[in-house]
Amino acid sequence: MKICIACGMPMQTAADYPQGDMEKDYCLYCARPDGSMHTFDEKREGLTNFIIKTQGLDEEAARKTALEMMAKLPAWKSYFNP
Amino acid sequence: MKTQRQTQKDQTRKLLLDTAIVQLAKDGLITTKTSDIAKAAGVSHGTVFVHFPTREILLSEVIEEVGMRIASRLNELAGNGGSVRDILTAHLKGLSEYEAFYTRLVVENNLIPEKSRHTLIMIQSAISIHLNHAVEREVSLGSIRPFPTHLLFNTWVGLIHYYLSNADLFSPNHSVLHRHGQTLIDHFLTMISP
Ligand SMILES: [Zn+2]
Repeated sequence: MKICIACGMPMQTAADYPQGDMEKDYCLYCARPDGSMHTFDEKREGLTNFIIKTQGLDEEAARKTALEMMAKLPAWKSYFNP
Repeated sequence: MKTQRQTQKDQTRKLLLDTAIVQLAKDGLITTKTSDIAKAAGVSHGTVFVHFPTREILLSEVIEEVGMRIASRLNELAGNGGSVRDILTAHLKGLSEYEAFYTRLVVENNLIPEKSRHTLIMIQSAISIHLNHAVEREVSLGSIRPFPTHLLFNTWVGLIHYYLSNADLFSPNHSVLHRHGQTLIDHFLTMISP
């Protein structure tokens, strides 16, 4: 089973992939409508909003957590270790 | 194929994580000494730092490990298409397997390094989203009233954390989740029913 390189979600079935494409290394939540992967800024905002929606955190606190999480994921390594 | 050396390294890492879970639960997340973890695992103190460069990294990884195990338990027991009751039951099942450690986490939450707190937030989000999927299905069937995702989750977690952090009053010398978990699930479901 693959783990999304951009958000860490386990990808179990084709339904977890963008347009069902199991060749991809990222999940459908990390893809734009055309199937390409989100940019760093898009993902940071997406994760921030996800944390606010699921747990009701303050926006700045949620953004910090989102960045902390992204720092651990392969897709965003270059943004944290210049 | 992994080399024998790599396999051994993985095994030591796992041993250290498993030992740290027990030791941190016993002596506290803030106060447990890395030397005591090493002793309990039967390795040298230096070995701990080969695998985890700092105490803070060790703590963060232990929290992540326990969180992942609880979340994957939830997935395994109530993953696809589980009811809200299934999700809550699976959540408590996962928590009860790490009850002593998780209770420490709840009680010491404001004292642990920020990095570890972020880890916990991500894990809670994963659980919240699971719960929300089940809730959405049942709201559409009319068996549950609609609530904002975060309020529903925080109400549930707040209830559980209150019992865990006061376990000495609710269930001295016994698992508070075993003793009261079923009642709390029933009560929560009653509260959110139409
Ligand atoms: Zn993803």
